[in-house]
Amino acid sequence: MSQSLDNTIAPSLSGGTIIVRRRLSKKKLRRFKPYLYLLPAVALLSIWMYRPLLYTFYLAFQKWSMVPGTSPVFVGFDNFEHLFHNKSFIDSIGNTIFYTVGLLPFSILIPMILAVVTDRMESKSKNFYRAMFFIPMILAPVSVSAIWRWLFHPSNGLVNYLLVKLHLIKEPIAYFSDPGFAKWIILLITGWKMIGFSTIMFSAALTSINREYYEAASQDGAGSFRQFVHITIPLLSPMIIFMLTMSILFSSQWTFAYIDMLTTGGPYGSSTNIYYEMYRFAFSSLNAGLSSAAALLFFVVFGLIALGLNMVSRKFAFYDN
Amino acid sequence: MRPSVRGSKTTASNKYFHTVGVLLIMKRMAKGALALMAMSSMVWLSACGSASKSAGAAELGALDPANPTKITFYSYSLAYPTMKAGMEQLIKEFNDTVGKEKGVVVEGVADSTMQQYKADISAGKEVDVVQHTFSTLDSSRLSLGFKAYEDIFPKDQLDEHLKGISPNALELGKIDGKMYGLAFTFSTPIVFINGKLFEEAGLDPAKPPKTWDEIKAASLQIKAKTGKDGFGLTPSNGWITEGLILSNGGQVLAKDRKSADFGSDASIAAIQMWKDLYHNGASAPGTENELAEQFMAGNLGMYVSSTALHSGAKKAADAGGWKLYGAALPQFGDTPSVPVNSGSVLAVRPDSAVKTAAVWEFIKFVTGDRGYTIITSQIGYLPLRTGLADDPNGLKDFVEQNPLYKINLDQLTRIQPVAIWPGDNATEMAKVFTDAIVKSVMSDDDVKTTLTTAQNEINGMMP
Repeated sequence: MSQSLDNTIAPSLSGGTIIVRRRLSKKKLRRFKPYLYLLPAVALLSIWMYRPLLYTFYLAFQKWSMVPGTSPVFVGFDNFEHLFHNKSFIDSIGNTIFYTVGLLPFSILIPMILAVVTDRMESKSKNFYRAMFFIPMILAPVSVSAIWRWLFHPSNGLVNYLLVKLHLIKEPIAYFSDPGFAKWIILLITGWKMIGFSTIMFSAALTSINREYYEAASQDGAGSFRQFVHITIPLLSPMIIFMLTMSILFSSQWTFAYIDMLTTGGPYGSSTNIYYEMYRFAFSSLNAGLSSAAALLFFVVFGLIALGLNMVSRKFAFYDN
Repeated sequence: MRPSVRGSKTTASNKYFHTVGVLLIMKRMAKGALALMAMSSMVWLSACGSASKSAGAAELGALDPANPTKITFYSYSLAYPTMKAGMEQLIKEFNDTVGKEKGVVVEGVADSTMQQYKADISAGKEVDVVQHTFSTLDSSRLSLGFKAYEDIFPKDQLDEHLKGISPNALELGKIDGKMYGLAFTFSTPIVFINGKLFEEAGLDPAKPPKTWDEIKAASLQIKAKTGKDGFGLTPSNGWITEGLILSNGGQVLAKDRKSADFGSDASIAAIQMWKDLYHNGASAPGTENELAEQFMAGNLGMYVSSTALHSGAKKAADAGGWKLYGAALPQFGDTPSVPVNSGSVLAVRPDSAVKTAAVWEFIKFVTGDRGYTIITSQIGYLPLRTGLADDPNGLKDFVEQNPLYKINLDQLTRIQPVAIWPGDNATEMAKVFTDAIVKSVMSDDDVKTTLTTAQNEINGMMP
């Protein structure tokens, strides 16, 4: 092919060359067309995702304060060594697992129940309840934090007031400065916001289930619970696994704002997570290398989790094709 | 490259076209690269030029009132409601008077968490003056390019300006003999007292508790009689903790600043006392904001904090119908307490001779007589030009009307500097120290083990 083309094109003076060249350029254009369509997406991803990602890998082996005029200095694996000797980072790993596991009921169990219950309601009530569940999702984390801080205030808060009035506690509790409560409150607030998002996702997934399955099952004498277990759950399985993936991968990100606003990771690191520590290393200690090393570890561990969930999805998700 | 291109021309014309194309692109790239190199060398040269200018220490550029020089001032006081108005007045008055006359415009940037200036420096923005806390000054000096006053401002002008400022205060921003920060907003810890709760508990707010034992007794009495918390000191406060340790004969950092030294028996005993208050209901739980809010709401008998809260506390007292009293930092037994300073220094990083001149004008104004008068009367910090407190044209009337300032001025005579953690890891060290104190006070963990572990961890981070 190349030989014949070479021969055709070689005598550049012949009149047929132009036609061949046009054909060739059309062919080339056709071949490049898909790439042209992909170009904007690839360019954006490269600029905003892959370049910073690769740069993070590079920085993980450097020492750098990010100050203009200074250059990163290669330090090998020093950042990783410091990371594993850093007590607050070690503590943050345990908390990250706590938030990840603790968020699962708020991202899967409760929303699925709410979605199923509201699904059987008449249109107006259904929309009303779903809107109620979704409202927390659209509230700004700063306002949400301020409201929860007032509610849980040790001396002026409504929660303490009611608990003391009901004789459930003797002394008011300072929830955000108590190591036993701080991370539970962060989890509760994040979960409260998460429920709205997940409920909408499950509700959308429910509407795509064919009603005939339920009719057939009910004619065969299956009750609501059996219908839920044998029809709803299997047909919701792709959404369950999707939400499971979202919840696990983003739990650290979603808790970040409340940690920053309400506890700043304290008391003594009891409510921090890996995300918050990465932020602290980079923008409080100005140690881009240490932060990048933590980010690299985070990327590898959560990348493996994502791959595992992908395999689970292929094995267990049931698609009603 | 050229011979191989010529060779390919003779073999296959498509390769020829391709190669010629590549060559053309390469030529263009080479041109571009040359242009880039030329530009970058120009940038480099100009950078060298500006660097050499600013390195030409103590030379101030010429300011032009017709074409004012803009400088940025990052301030955490601008972000807090109790301090914002005073700080805005300070900046506005400068811009309207000296700034207008000399040709300087100061733009205030609110920086509540003291992270914004770091992020902006990292992003290449112009950050000229920062209201900087003491404990991490060394780290900023090393990593953020803050400059020593002696290196950039004319010696005679600097010496002249520093006259009248408390010598103790001047020492606080010095590292390795050079002043990297000039004390700006400054206070010592004070016990704010709610007179109404004191009286309801049968205590006399005019004769406040002096020792920690008396604090405990008064706190429990207030709680028993009024049902409200008697005393509050946030375990995560950081700086007042240091005063507690020093008051009992301990120290936080060794004298040579080469090792942490808060694991001694004296330090442990001080923290143990605080733990006792906390676990026996004599110290209210809560974060710094929560305790401040509790005190302002009239629900806390005594609250130890900086005088920066004075204006807010006074307004709250007036609004709530109670009288605000004060006391010095409590002492252990008969030994007078050793307070440390809170507040900030002004750290500077002008990048040209003109900017240096503009920054110098701003520094002179805000740390001059008028500046400190505004800072004290409108915000609540101490006048570091202590003579102002006796000056009828300065703050004499103000101090007489607000006797809490006398307590603070008295404490200035025995003040010790807050620990400036050394090296790049200063922020991490400060965090480990604070976390260890919080854990020692709040949890059931052994104080000695917790402090010793933290001390070893910090010593492992020393430069």
